[in-house]
Amino acid sequence: MTSIREEMWKTRGILFNFAMSDLKIRYRNSILGVLWSFVEPLLLLTVLFVVFSTMFKFEIPNFPIYLLLGIITWNFFKNGTTIALNSLTNRSALITQIYFPRSIPGLSAGITAAIMLIFELVVLGIFMAAFQFTPSVTILLLPLILGLQLLLVLGVALPLSVLNVKFKDTEFIWGVVVHAGFFLTPIFYQFDMLPQAIQDVLQFSPMVQILTMAHHVVLYGILPSVNTVLYSVGSILGITAIGYLIFRKYQARIAEEM
Amino acid sequence: MSDYAISVKHVSKKFKLFHEKRDSIYESAAGFFQKKRHSEVLQTLDDISFNVKHGEIFGIIGRNGDGKTTLLRIISKIYSADSGSVDVKGRVIPVLSLGLGFHPELTAVSNIYQSSILLGFKKEDISKRISEIIKFAELERFADTKIKNFSAGMQMRLAFATSVLVDPDILILDEVFAVGDLNFQKKCFDTIMSFKKRGKAIIFVSHDMTPIRNFCDTVMFLKEGKVGKIGSPEESIAAYVDYLAKHPEINPKENLSNSI
Repeated sequence: MTSIREEMWKTRGILFNFAMSDLKIRYRNSILGVLWSFVEPLLLLTVLFVVFSTMFKFEIPNFPIYLLLGIITWNFFKNGTTIALNSLTNRSALITQIYFPRSIPGLSAGITAAIMLIFELVVLGIFMAAFQFTPSVTILLLPLILGLQLLLVLGVALPLSVLNVKFKDTEFIWGVVVHAGFFLTPIFYQFDMLPQAIQDVLQFSPMVQILTMAHHVVLYGILPSVNTVLYSVGSILGITAIGYLIFRKYQARIAEEM
Repeated sequence: MSDYAISVKHVSKKFKLFHEKRDSIYESAAGFFQKKRHSEVLQTLDDISFNVKHGEIFGIIGRNGDGKTTLLRIISKIYSADSGSVDVKGRVIPVLSLGLGFHPELTAVSNIYQSSILLGFKKEDISKRISEIIKFAELERFADTKIKNFSAGMQMRLAFATSVLVDPDILILDEVFAVGDLNFQKKCFDTIMSFKKRGKAIIFVSHDMTPIRNFCDTVMFLKEGKVGKIGSPEESIAAYVDYLAKHPEINPKENLSNSI
């Protein structure tokens, strides 16, 4: 018997394939086809941008870019986890008819979200050019931050995929968590606008840390502090480890719960 | 080390039969405080042991609901057994209930790739064989048609063609000839015989006793989740017929096709 981790590592090459067919199915039969993966974020980001930049007039320098960066980063988390949520339940035929590592759909959901993120980053680039914004050189650290976020997305996606098979209401609970998270993360406001007591609690959220680091390197040319880096790496590794344990507990009996 | 292709030792499997299945957190929490029993245990497989040699066609017969498909799923790792062990040498392809887990929104070709890659075959190897698979399944005109537009027979042909042409070491066939015309059935049996000649093991489940009698080397009769008989096709079929005769409450038509 190979261990689950060995099996996951061996099949890492399949993830990309799987994610691509996920994207194909997502935009199936649409007139614009793959173009949707580019047009959809462009339209959505425009709507959110118009809403938030006219309704909330905060004194944040380069607000359009600040906002878009926040939305894109949040979308990465939201997309990866929500696609993972139904990644196993949507494939009941596959799961009851052949054996394959049960980690593949959940993990590939993270990869799908990463591919979508790339399209959204292109849109961000377009907005930067439109607002004649030149990012600081520290933007080169953004891929590292997003890489760390990918680990978080995978660490949450994996347990969600199996939990939603075992407990059907995981889906609704997670929907609420994602909605709440959007408002509890500094996307359209700055973190220090919040009352100190709330800041003290929310700073433990890894997404708050990720977003703060992203804002720092893209907009202000500030390197993330050692404390922030250590805390976010530590907490994300912790979350991923717990996620893996939850997955390991439920994965063997997935086909029977279908 | 045994030189068996498949070695099943003392496999047991229980299922919980839910009268009111709790599959949400709320129901689990609410049910925790209720005394009422919401499930009973169903012993689907009870201490099953058998071996399949290389180059052997092993038939399994028995009533609906007596554990045949559960057993096949355990051998192909889809389910895990409660106790006992299954030792399988080489790569297994299970063709269970009309498919290889095809996705309705993907084309025939994409589905061949997806299923066989998931089963552990290399992409390059599949690329080499893809046109051969389509040809075997007689689906040349439908290679880039989505599976949702396929008939049951077409899906079955595609599943069978994929499973034999990616060249697994062990093939598991569950009621695969229920669909498919005579011509295709003959092609399937020819392929199965050539697999046998090349020393591959095949597990074959059917309610139709003709292929069981004609093709299988050994047949196991599963009786209410236990081994009823392992022996030659004639012996096991006799045991099965005998069992059905002793239980007139079981509708024989439902469990045995015409050809007895």
